[in-house]
Amino acid sequence: MKTFISILFFSLPLFILPACGNKEKKDDEKTGIAAADTSRVIIADNKVNPYAIVDVSPMDISYFPVDYPKLKMADSIRIPHLFARIIYSRPHLQGRHLFTDLLKYGEPWRLGANESTELDLYTEATIQNKKIKAGRYVLYCIPQPDSWTIILNSNIDSWGLHPDPAKDIARFHIPVKQTANRLEYFTIIFEKTASGADIVMAWDNLEARLPVSF
Amino acid sequence: MRKLLLGLATVFTGLVLQAQSTALPQVDKSPMDMSYYPNGYPVQKIQDKITEPLVARVIYSRPQKSGRTIFGGLIKYGELWRMGANEATEIEFYKNVRIAGKKISRGRYTLYAIVNENSWTIILNKETDTWGSFKYDIKKDVLRTVVPTQKTDAPVESLSMVFEKTAAGTNLIVAWDAVKVALPINF
Repeated sequence: MKTFISILFFSLPLFILPACGNKEKKDDEKTGIAAADTSRVIIADNKVNPYAIVDVSPMDISYFPVDYPKLKMADSIRIPHLFARIIYSRPHLQGRHLFTDLLKYGEPWRLGANESTELDLYTEATIQNKKIKAGRYVLYCIPQPDSWTIILNSNIDSWGLHPDPAKDIARFHIPVKQTANRLEYFTIIFEKTASGADIVMAWDNLEARLPVSF
Repeated sequence: MRKLLLGLATVFTGLVLQAQSTALPQVDKSPMDMSYYPNGYPVQKIQDKITEPLVARVIYSRPQKSGRTIFGGLIKYGELWRMGANEATEIEFYKNVRIAGKKISRGRYTLYAIVNENSWTIILNKETDTWGSFKYDIKKDVLRTVVPTQKTDAPVESLSMVFEKTAAGTNLIVAWDAVKVALPINF
């Protein structure tokens, strides 16, 4: 029995580690070209898809309330109020470091890839005492080592590169902190707070939060 | 022995806690994507090369064929299909359009389809920001229109949607595996 438990104990990591490793291996099989804040891999399907190539940096969507579409599906009677969503693309590190392999301090960063990152507010919000009307905005960032400037911009339905500062609506300075673990894919989520939600932006070993009140 | 069991319990508890603290979302197996009409509008916009105004965009997730027969196999004929994966597929019109002779007001809609071998029924439904087709409510339909299926030249691995210019407006092309359809949108 003792031996059995010992085997179980020591073999546990063996079951877990390969599961983590498979994904990496799959990514390594893809080859391609590095480009700024997009990934350097090209998915094989792109060569044969005549309609719409599959993006190297997949798009994703985050809602507040968190997982709103699933909440709606689970209980169609008590549907919570929809406050906001963010649509963004998720570049990945692929062995690079965010600073300064991919980004430079003081230069605008599109907080995503491909199409501009979009914030949809379904209700008026307050950020750092500034009222932001319901509507659609582009989000981008000017990073510095200790703080990020998060910018709301009105040039919606645009490509993320070269944001137009003439169309900036508001700028917010927020601290950036180091995380214990490195994160492969750029991630934006909403996290519930007492007064609303934090927009959490995390990538590599960095995390920044923009508190939003609803 | 007791120590070992205690150790084992600690390891399992640690694993559970670790799993719970990972609140950040994984990358979706079926990546989301977006298509605009005019095609490539966001790039045109930053290059000052816009030739016609923005009319529509579709946001959808892209499941893969992965060796399976999709239509008549994975997706049964006659059943409601969410035309994507994960969050419901969304089509947005930036101006009023006409589909199958019916006026569709500007705004966001969820897209569904009922697929058959020779035709698909395309459905526009006003319940947006939902998940899949699990809570589909026919009462919230805005439009149902039947379009014929066509064959793709080669099997399409990832579900694909793209707007194609036509004389009267645009066709939303939906293609996956061996099948494609065109939904005419006039404006």
